[in-house]
Order: sequence, then structure tokens, then C-alpha cells
Amino acid sequence: MANYDFDAIVIGSGISGGWAAKELCEKGLKVLMLDRGRMVEHKKDYITEFKGPWQLPYRGTLPPAEVARDYFLAKWGGAANTDRNHFYNNDRLNPFDYEGSTPFRWVRPNQVGGKSLIWGRVSLRWSPIDFEANRKDGYGVPWPISYDELAPWYSYVEKFAGIAGGREGLAQLPDGEFQPPHAMNVAEIWVKERLEKAMPDRKLIHTRCANMTEDKPEQGRFRCQERNQCARGCSFGAYFSTQSSTLPAARKTGNLTLLSDKVVTSLDYDPRTKRITGVRTVDANTNEARIYTSRIVFLCASAMASVQILLNSRLPGSDRSFANSSGTLGCYIMDHAMRTFFWGTVPEGQLDQYVEYGRRPTGVYIPKFRNLNGQDADADFVRGYGMQGGASRPVAAPEGFGASMKEGLRKYGPWTIQFNVFAECLPYKNNTLSLHPAKTDRFGMPLIVFDVGFRHNEERMMVDAARQGEIMMRAAGLVDVGSRQDEHVPGDAIHEMGGACMGDDPKASVVNRWSQAHDADNLFVTDGSHMSSTNCVNPSLTFMALTARAADHAVKLAREHVI
Amino acid sequence: MPDRRDLLAGAALFFGTSLAPPLAKALSQADNPAGFTASHAVFNDGQRALVTAICDRIVPATDTPGAVAAGVPAFIEMMLTDWYSGGDRMDFLAGLTELDGFAMRGYGKVFAALPAQQQDSVLTTAMHGMMQGLASGFFDHCRQMVVLGYYSSEIGCRQERVYLPVPGRYDGAYLYSQVGRVFSS
Repeated sequence: MANYDFDAIVIGSGISGGWAAKELCEKGLKVLMLDRGRMVEHKKDYITEFKGPWQLPYRGTLPPAEVARDYFLAKWGGAANTDRNHFYNNDRLNPFDYEGSTPFRWVRPNQVGGKSLIWGRVSLRWSPIDFEANRKDGYGVPWPISYDELAPWYSYVEKFAGIAGGREGLAQLPDGEFQPPHAMNVAEIWVKERLEKAMPDRKLIHTRCANMTEDKPEQGRFRCQERNQCARGCSFGAYFSTQSSTLPAARKTGNLTLLSDKVVTSLDYDPRTKRITGVRTVDANTNEARIYTSRIVFLCASAMASVQILLNSRLPGSDRSFANSSGTLGCYIMDHAMRTFFWGTVPEGQLDQYVEYGRRPTGVYIPKFRNLNGQDADADFVRGYGMQGGASRPVAAPEGFGASMKEGLRKYGPWTIQFNVFAECLPYKNNTLSLHPAKTDRFGMPLIVFDVGFRHNEERMMVDAARQGEIMMRAAGLVDVGSRQDEHVPGDAIHEMGGACMGDDPKASVVNRWSQAHDADNLFVTDGSHMSSTNCVNPSLTFMALTARAADHAVKLAREHVI
Repeated sequence: MPDRRDLLAGAALFFGTSLAPPLAKALSQADNPAGFTASHAVFNDGQRALVTAICDRIVPATDTPGAVAAGVPAFIEMMLTDWYSGGDRMDFLAGLTELDGFAMRGYGKVFAALPAQQQDSVLTTAMHGMMQGLASGFFDHCRQMVVLGYYSSEIGCRQERVYLPVPGRYDGAYLYSQVGRVFSS
């Protein structure tokens, strides 16, 4: 029996990595969790939390020159805000091949906890039709698992994470284990009543989100305080993050070793045993190289970075990755199409007496309504989109200056509601991530080259969404209805997925139905990279469920001495 | 031992609502709220006096303190020095020169030395784009800087508006008459 440093190594500490560490630790394994970023401890390192606008550098916005120099991609995820800038990647110091890539907005975190600290927290289940889509219309690798197989794992992670939502009984958006939803405001209720009456096939529901509405004292977490400053970190632990939730659980077992500032560059592989034999790291501060060994490896470095690590893990004496016997590693790179907006205004005189007290961290959602029962006759695209939005009352915009302007700024304008569309991106085999043959980063890691673009299906969906959005806004009785389509660049949604897709066929996919690499029995890839399609809903909840399921399976295999 | 923020956060949880004003004040003093100074001076004395006078007319003291008491002139100087890039900074300084030149030609004194009524008249001319030589957009830019500086200041957030560091609850049908102001972000 080999002598390992740890029972399991988890690469990455974001949403997937945190879950892997928690599950494996709780099952009694000695676990090493590695992250390339710096350490961030819960509460202690939330350096901008509780600060008023007047206490933030530059009152909240980084100088444009600094953004242009260091955060030209991270800005698309909010890095220009000085209340959260410290949770983002420096794009100058940690590049991909900008010159050789198609436009790609890769928004990365750079700390323990990963994007779990700065995510949008929308937590929606996939439905049966989403797992069947690839098989039905022929795009991408057919999913080897069904909704029914994942449903218990959705329940398992929802109960722990704490998801607020309403039970709706919708086939296209299954209900889960919910805490009570965050309340809708008067304008959202006003729109919901009118929209659902005018167009009964459209639903306007509470966004389901990982901001709790009830305490979880057993986890030391408390319900949301309605600050809407989640991306600064939350000392109440009100939203699910590695720091608030999975990391304390993993630490509680006494089985976790967590090392920050460890850049994983590749995995060592033994072709004879088909096993990972070591995890190669470089210290981000000292550049010291070190190999860690374990019986099981969970790769959760984020979708694009996990594929990069796999591509850089070459067969002895070869340029070819050990994980690429299918030839599909790095293929099927996807991200939700977005940046289509629509809006409307509640007519003058309606709801004027009401405002919002508190800053709710979520809003409302219009679930997918296109192509639900086969192909809609009037749809020139396959699959569908969902719409995230919310109503609010912006401050009035008086003209002039002086005391009258100051008085005018004490009032609110009319209620408006607006939505942003998230559309499914089809899995195209030749949307790829590859490694540059010569260029490397400061850790010696070959740079990623993206060749990814949206196509007709995504573009037609966005046109349809804008049109449907305006129709719905008018049907609800709103005025000043409009829509806009901005340039949507892959990566923008920060829902990048694919590259190491799941499938039954080892010749056509990278991992099997248990998120286990076809080419390495002791390697599990459970982050966004192993998604075979994107559906149109925010993906993190599905990563959680797949990770918990894979961890359970891995430990079973280990106990049976299969791996 | 729990740190200060834990205690305050715990207090907010205990009361289940927003922090009481003395607690909120203690919280703000835990991190230096005094503001900032520009890394180096960008205004000469005359320009500083001019910007102060403009701030005073755009957001004057009424039943609450105005932009000068809220430190907006220092905010503008900080932004020009440390946030703006060279071209934008020069454009703003050039606009100030034009405005003072107009005041001098029309009223025989620099803007800061004029009575409030004449200052308002100069600003109104600028606002309507009737000031020859003044770049279009200068007034709007100036107004935007003052408004941003004021409503993001402690006075703007806490005295002019209602600041809830930890609202504790959400009410989407709250009566405006119960607050009569705008909630700060």
C-alpha cells in the first residue's frame, strides 16, 4: 500500500472545493485543501464590512487607470468597486493569452473561498428536461444522469446551505428544501398579479437564493440582515460561502489541512495503474515547488482553471494530457449568454406612498417558458432562457442646483422594474480552451488560449427574450417599456462551464456519471468544467449537489478498495 | 475574545433591527471616518476658494448641513488628484478658470468674492450653456461631483439621508411618510 501525505487532496476552495472538503472530512478522510489565492478568514478578513460610503477608498470606485491596468476583466464582475476589489484576480499578474484568444471575460477570484464570497447566490435546480436536452436535440455530450438521480443531493445541499425560496410546483424549475422567500415589494406584487393574469403561462416568482431568512444556530449562522453588501463578506454568515459554511464544517472534524497561496500546476499520473500519484504545486509567494500525494484527488479549481491543470498534466514523454484519451478535454467551453435587458415603469400615481425599507439582496425571477413541451412553433432556436430582475424606486432626478435641488433629492421617482436575461449556451465542440505552446505565467504554467464564441442559437434567443420581455411588461400594464441588447462576450455571466464534460462514453467525454475521470480512477472533477450543458439557470447549486454526490461515491469506492 | 465588530453585529442581532444610533456611531469610529486628504495639492488657494464657493451654492446648508460642512471641496480635490487622469483633471481646472474669468468680467470680482445671488446667476449661465469659452458639460460635471461627494459623505448619508448600516429586515411596502427622506445606500 502506498504511503500518502493525505487521504484526499481537494484542489480549489470555492463552492465545489469547499463542499468536497466538508464531505470528505466528515466521512473521516484526512484532507488537504489547496487554493492558489491568499487566506481569507471568516469575519476577520472582511475588511470593508460595516463601512459607510464615506469610509470606502474613493467613496466606492477605483480610479479608472488602475482598473485599466489591473482589473480590465475582473471589472465585469464588480472589481472596480472598492468595497470588494480585494476579492478579485489581478489580470495583469495572472493573465491568459490575451493576444491569441477570442474575446473572453474570465472573471476570477484570488483567495480562499473563491467565488463563493462574491457570487450572486441565485440557487435554482435543474429540471428533468434540462438533463435530457443534449440527448434530445443532439448538441453536446448526452448527460448520463437524470434529474431523479440528482434530486436527493439537491435536497441534501439545500438543507445545509440554506436556500430561501417559494414553492411553485413548476415542472421546469423543481421546488427544493426552502426557507421562506425574501418578500416581494409592492411593485413586484403589482406586476406579478397583472402579468400572470394577462399571460397565464408566465410566472413571476421569488428568486431562490442562498441568503437565509431563518437562523442556522447549529452552524453559527444568522438570517439575512438585508444590507445587500454580500460581496464584502458577511459576518452574520447569512449567505452560503466556503468561509461561512463548508470550511467551518470541515475544520470541525479535525481532518482538514488548508493551505493558501499554493498554485497547482499539474497532476502526476501513472499510466500503468491509471492513477494520479501526486499534485504539483508552486508557492505563490516563494515560488517553492512541492508535490503532495493522496489516495483521492478532487479537482475543483474553477471550470477554466481545472481544464488548464488537466491539459498541463501530460503523459510521460508526451505533450498529450493523460485525461484526454477522448480528445474532448478543453472542448465544449460554455457560458450563459446575457446582457439583454428589459424594463418598465409603474404608471404615475400608483404605489406612490410606498418605498423600500432595507436593502434586499435578491429579487424576482421569470422562469424559462420557451420550448418547454417540445419545440415552440414560433421559436427559431432550441432550449430557453430565464429572467432575473427586481423592482425599486430610484431617487428622483431634479434639475438645477441649490436648496430646491437638495429638497428634490429627498423624494423618490416612480417604481421601475427591470430584468436581465440568462440564456442557455449550447455545447459546441469547437468552442475550446487550449494551452499556449510557449507562453507561460509567473509560475511556469502555460497560458490559456480561448477560442470561444456565441452563435446563432444564442443570438436568436436574446432577440426573442428582448421581444418577449417587452410584451410581458406591456401586458402587465407598465409604461415606458424598453429593452436593450449590449454586446455579450463569453465569460460575462461568470457562469463559465465545460471543458471536461460528463458522459458515459469514455471516447466522447472526460468524466463518468460519478464525476470520476475516465482516465484516472482516483480523480474526481466536480466543478463547472464537468458540466455537459449549461441549462439557463445559475449553476452553483448544481455544482454543490454533484460534488456531494461524487464525494459520497469516492469514499464508497475507497472503502471497497476499488480506488 | 470576540472582536469589536462581532459585539456590534451581535447587538444588532439581539435587537433584531437596525443598530441604535450610539452603536452605529461607535461602529463608524472603529474605522477612521475622518475622511481623506489628497496625496498632493492640485488647487492653488484661489481655486480652492472657488471650488468651496461652488459647493456651497450647489448643495447649500438648509435644515441640514451643506456640501462645505460635509467636506466636499476636499473630496473633489482628492478625486482630481488621485482618481482622475491628466486630461480630465486639466479640463476641470480649465473650466474653473473660465468660470472665474466670467465672474470677473461680469461683476468685477472672482466668483468666491461675489454675493450668493450673483454666484447663482453665474452658475445659472453656466448651466444653460450660455458662458462663452466654457466647455459644454462642465457645469453638469461639477454638479455631479458635488452631488456624489455630498451624498456619499457622512453628513450626506447620516443627516441629509437616512443611513441603515444593518437594516435587519426588509419591508417592500414601507410608507414614505414614515421616513420623509431617502434611505442612503
